[in-house]
Amino acid sequence: MPDWKQEISERLSILNLGPESEAAIVDELSQHLGDLYEELMSSGMSAADARKEVLSQIDPLAAEFQKTHRPTSAPVETVEFLRGAPLTGLWKDFRYAARVLRKNPGFTTAVVVALALGIGANTAIFTVVNTLMLNPLAFRNSSELVAVETVEGLKSGSAPRVLPLSYPNLLDLQERQQVFSDVAAYSLAAPLTLVSGSRGERIFAEFVTPNFFETLGVRPVLGRFLGSADAGPDTDPVAVISYSAWQQRFGADPNIAGRVLKLNNNTVVTVVGVAPPGFKGVTVLFGPDLWISMAAARVVSPVLQKSLQDRGEPSVMVASRLKPGVSQSQAQANIDTLNAALLQQYPELSRNRALRLRPIVEAAQGDRRQSFLVGSVVLMIVVGLILLIACSNAASLFLARASGRRQEIAVRLALGAGRGRVIRQLLTESILLALLSGAAGLVVAYAGCQLLWSFRPPEVAQNIVDAKMDGTVLAYALAISLLTGVLFGLAPAIQATRADIVDAIKESARTAGRSRGRVHFRNLLLAGQVALSVVALIASGLFLRSIQRAYTIDPGFQTDHLAVFLINQGQAGYDRARAEEFYRAVRERVGSLPGVDSVSWSSTMPLWNRAARNVQLEGQEPQRAQDTPGVIAAVVDPNFFSTAGIRVMGGRVFSSADRASSEPVAIVNETMAKRSWPKQDAIGRRFRFTGDTVSKRIVGVVKTANYTGLGEDPQPAVYTPLDQDFSASMILWLRTRTAPSQVIAEVQRELRQIDPQLDVSDARTGSKIVDQALFFARIGVSLLGVFGLLALALVAVGLYGSVAYSVNQRQGEIGLRVALGASRPDVLRMVIGQGMKWVGIGLGVGVALALLLGQAMSTVLFGVSPADPVSFGGALAVLTMVALAACLIPARRAANLDPQVALRAH
Amino acid sequence: MEDQQFEQEWKKGSGEMLILALIEDQPRHGYDISKLIESRSAGSLHFHVATLYPLLYRLEKRGWIEGLWVEKAGQRRRRYYTLTPEGSKILERQRSSWKKFVTAIGMITGVEHA
Repeated sequence: MPDWKQEISERLSILNLGPESEAAIVDELSQHLGDLYEELMSSGMSAADARKEVLSQIDPLAAEFQKTHRPTSAPVETVEFLRGAPLTGLWKDFRYAARVLRKNPGFTTAVVVALALGIGANTAIFTVVNTLMLNPLAFRNSSELVAVETVEGLKSGSAPRVLPLSYPNLLDLQERQQVFSDVAAYSLAAPLTLVSGSRGERIFAEFVTPNFFETLGVRPVLGRFLGSADAGPDTDPVAVISYSAWQQRFGADPNIAGRVLKLNNNTVVTVVGVAPPGFKGVTVLFGPDLWISMAAARVVSPVLQKSLQDRGEPSVMVASRLKPGVSQSQAQANIDTLNAALLQQYPELSRNRALRLRPIVEAAQGDRRQSFLVGSVVLMIVVGLILLIACSNAASLFLARASGRRQEIAVRLALGAGRGRVIRQLLTESILLALLSGAAGLVVAYAGCQLLWSFRPPEVAQNIVDAKMDGTVLAYALAISLLTGVLFGLAPAIQATRADIVDAIKESARTAGRSRGRVHFRNLLLAGQVALSVVALIASGLFLRSIQRAYTIDPGFQTDHLAVFLINQGQAGYDRARAEEFYRAVRERVGSLPGVDSVSWSSTMPLWNRAARNVQLEGQEPQRAQDTPGVIAAVVDPNFFSTAGIRVMGGRVFSSADRASSEPVAIVNETMAKRSWPKQDAIGRRFRFTGDTVSKRIVGVVKTANYTGLGEDPQPAVYTPLDQDFSASMILWLRTRTAPSQVIAEVQRELRQIDPQLDVSDARTGSKIVDQALFFARIGVSLLGVFGLLALALVAVGLYGSVAYSVNQRQGEIGLRVALGASRPDVLRMVIGQGMKWVGIGLGVGVALALLLGQAMSTVLFGVSPADPVSFGGALAVLTMVALAACLIPARRAANLDPQVALRAH
Repeated sequence: MEDQQFEQEWKKGSGEMLILALIEDQPRHGYDISKLIESRSAGSLHFHVATLYPLLYRLEKRGWIEGLWVEKAGQRRRRYYTLTPEGSKILERQRSSWKKFVTAIGMITGVEHA
């Protein structure tokens, strides 16, 4: 028995009767048709004739109902609406569209899921871009805020180095400038030890001038911020606590204001207020837990206090608010008069340096700006591709459904609706769908950001900025949703309304989809999807290969069997005698642990250094910038080089004979030796650090390592012995016999026994250090990988849907072929071949596009050719296999068609 | 062709009355009604599904008939239509005006009334 219900539903669908009303009618009429059919059959009529006769009775069904039926439960549009009278408004279009979508839950879900993934991926990445690049600092009128920085090496021809200001220069700036309403300063976020009970834990603090918060224009959520009363040299140290530290470390204690925190061994600061949520200071990424008044550096951080007194030491960052009406160039002109005065007063310190303004956002992004920019652009391109794939998926579904609705559209056109009016209605549907998807996409984006942010290293999670899903992000999501709606709705709408009216009314809905132009368009969409996903997959592959190569870079020190402990005794309030005793005790006790091969102290952390000091070479008057090169400066123990695994290229290493009382000596790396004394032997040469009076003699040359990041350009480095250049802030390096992770706990136990109040929790193995150096690259590559898979999944679904739809449309033809003798393998080959033909075209176009993109990306690829055969081959192989699988399922269904059933149905 | 046109005109004017009359004595379902119209008119009147049901729903909406789903043992659930009191009055009125009309036509055209 034919499916009468289906036949009736199809004919009534144009009327949009509402589900209950329609179900009742379908029920009643289908019984009638069933009775009639049985009667005709029993009178000897053939099944086909009986079916035809029965169907002839319901052909004008919709038109008859249109004349008479007005169900009370759901409103039915008037004929005027069906015809599309100009008076019917957008709201009516939306209501109608909503009803159509509700009636097709499968279609609606398929489109919404595909688009929500596309829009969600875009919105998530845009949230990251918004957080880091577009809107990183949410301060009052932040366009008025500028950073004042020291620029060094202006005349050297190479890129100048950007440094903070020295504190004495800051005081001069505050006194002499006329262009700022406020000039505030803050130090780098430095680790401190917060003592609770008998244990110490590491927190990060910035020392700030009292006007810091006022200048930025933020308000406390609790208590007060700092004031001028906190600036005096004899005032008690006070601090403002970050919102996240207040929440997580102090359980959002409402009485936090007035609470005394014990820092290090013997200093205390009083909390006076809590910063607002989301405020991390002038940073795009990493903020402190505490902002302590600059005046308190005297007691809390003697190291900082010392550098604050040195005009040659760039130690504070400066944020200034321009007076109303003052432009940045006017302000720079004012600063230039100060530059001239400084050069006159302090010629040696100011020769190659000048103070310079730039927008505070750029300063906060610092030298990460470039890599953020490149990363953002690449990720936005890839998620853009995914959205395009999702759009073309949706367009394909829309087109298939538009074929099914051809009769409805034709009736409307026949009733006198303008083509534009019908396109508007179809577009309203696609835009409504896109808005639904946009809402779902926001949920996807929120979950994606949560996931992304969960990759923050847990020990500093609360210091890292929060994802900013603000108005900008919402506006972006809305904009791309609307754009998406137009993008995937317009072409199918134009296609669907191009149908010949008479043909459509005559044709049954089932065969309508096979019009040549429509099939062609669907196949083009398919090829486009494949091309885009090839590009996305190849881009992911290239970056994956880049990061694989990055792991094989020789950083110049041995990362295996290496462990590093960030202990910070200086922050714990050790004086020189106690620190020296501590160093000795650790060398002895940790060095004698069974798994430990050698132990050394160094002031530097691997892959975490910056050129911080300048040197002047003896015998060369510093006329040019190159004569006072900025160098990495490290204070180390005698056996540092063997512990770190840095090769000695010439001369000697330090020994216990290099004491405070003996001749000052230094070891330089090959880069320093070659640049400063080209074609000469550096050993025996002398230099001094800018600002120092004593010169040092070079006794050895070691291999150049990576100091700031993996694969960096070679940087000059100078090593000095700990005994001659005391530092109270040293890092413990270990070379282990076994895997370093097995030794760490034992070493920590030993360190705690030596001083229970020291925070010894931050221990890193060599491989973890490399991981951290590649942190952003790894996150980026993981994202690209996820997006590549997403693109692949969308293409697989799109391809499957497309081939399955085509098989469904061609049942009759396939049945005929089988009846005429085509074998199952023939049918399989035909269906797969036709699907794969378009896949092949897509692959070709995709490879061409990927080659172009690869050329554009070549500067950010590391050690991988933009035409890397592995990435290209891998992407093509994966896509081909997925495409074959997606074609195979419907092809098998086609091959298993019973020709009799297929032919009878058609 | 002429027959078809006649049938259409005929149905338009009299379809409502035919249905009301057929369910006057007992409730009937749609298929039953269409079969009765066909058999009692000896095949000269024929209501398609697409004509009959919209008409039934219109009568129901006016409150002249009432449709109820009925399940009988061993049979499919069907929708039976009964005449409402208002429907009875309408039928009476239509019958009398029909009689007047047919008489008048007969008197003019010389056709014997049924």
